[in-house]
Amino acid sequence: MKFTARQPGINVNVSPTHPLKEFAILAGGLLAIAVGVYLALGLAVDLIVPRLSIDLEKKLAGALIGRLVETEEVDTTTRSLQALVGRLQDRCAKLPYNVTVHVTESDAVNAAALPGGHMVIFTGLLAEMTSENELAFVLAHELGHYANRDHLRSLGRSLVLMTASTLLLGADNSINSMIGHGMVLTELSFSRKQESRADEFALETLFCHYGQVAGATAFFKKIPEDGDPGRFGHYFASHPENRRRISHLKDLAQERGYPTGTLFPLPADLMVNTIPP
Amino acid sequence: MIDLIIFLSLLALGYGAGNWAEKRHYRSIAERENATINLPTVTLKSVNIPEHKIRSARLVYGSAVISVDYFKRILASLRNVVGGKVKSYESLLDRARREALLRMKAMAGDATVIVNVRIETSAVGKQSRRKNIGCLEAMAYGTALTVEE
Repeated sequence: MKFTARQPGINVNVSPTHPLKEFAILAGGLLAIAVGVYLALGLAVDLIVPRLSIDLEKKLAGALIGRLVETEEVDTTTRSLQALVGRLQDRCAKLPYNVTVHVTESDAVNAAALPGGHMVIFTGLLAEMTSENELAFVLAHELGHYANRDHLRSLGRSLVLMTASTLLLGADNSINSMIGHGMVLTELSFSRKQESRADEFALETLFCHYGQVAGATAFFKKIPEDGDPGRFGHYFASHPENRRRISHLKDLAQERGYPTGTLFPLPADLMVNTIPP
Repeated sequence: MIDLIIFLSLLALGYGAGNWAEKRHYRSIAERENATINLPTVTLKSVNIPEHKIRSARLVYGSAVISVDYFKRILASLRNVVGGKVKSYESLLDRARREALLRMKAMAGDATVIVNVRIETSAVGKQSRRKNIGCLEAMAYGTALTVEE
């Protein structure tokens, strides 16, 4: 029998798996694990947050807020806002927090509830205000976030996401800087439900304080149809959302028989930036 | 965001270019292997040929350096997390070894047989952990015998 040289025909040293299939399985699997961990930690945050004591929250917030508090010089605007928040808290919105108001120069028409009872109001928001009732509603809305401790929830989730992305991608990744920016600008996002509850809290507070709810929806109507929604932060997530919130507030006011009355003018200290309508 | 875009384009480029180069290389390997199929390369230290019939015996060698592409590297690093066969590197080693053998055969010219063939593999450009160039060299060497008819 004569030997004839020939090729083996198959390559035993290279696995036949398609590289894209392998990539999909590996990347998908790891991503699924990461998402699972994030969701599990998010659930853990939701469970822990309502049990977190105010004292501990203040201590934790110290590290985050320290810079903000140090550089703060209390001007008349801040004092006036602080007084209004104090009045609201005094009788109506009873919270275990001593809310401290900080005014920050920014075009953003937004306010934010930071941990430890630090409420940040952007000057862009003050410029949009035309009456005390309207302002009180916005402040009470933020107090509502404190009452439901929503501010900790979103912050906790951001921290979880930051931790997870740091572990996976290293400290200097784009997700971190994205969240980092979010935290600096305090564009903390709240869920629809959380905003709704804060709105309800604000409406109750407004009724309790003034005996009527004029101005509750005034602010929501101010978003220009073609305006940049980004400027308006969590008050105006989107137009349909905005209309839904207005109608929800109106329904609630009607249901509970809250009357509307006259609007009070803004305190003089807050009129500095206001363009007369 | 820009990091992600750069990462994804590198991944796509790595996959596209790497795949194209690999297919081309395998085609060329198959062609040359068929062309040199009648030059036996064996790992035996010697063959049973009477000494006076051997006209020449000389060292022949061939080496090939193959680089890993970005896609394969990422795939391997993902594989590093969970463990298992690093399939993406298998074809690189296979190509490097076969290319080295083919170059050795080319060096042997019209020899009758290459005996005592060995293959060595080494990583090239792996001096520091951070700047890992990531390519590998395979070297094949043996003794080419030319036998009188």
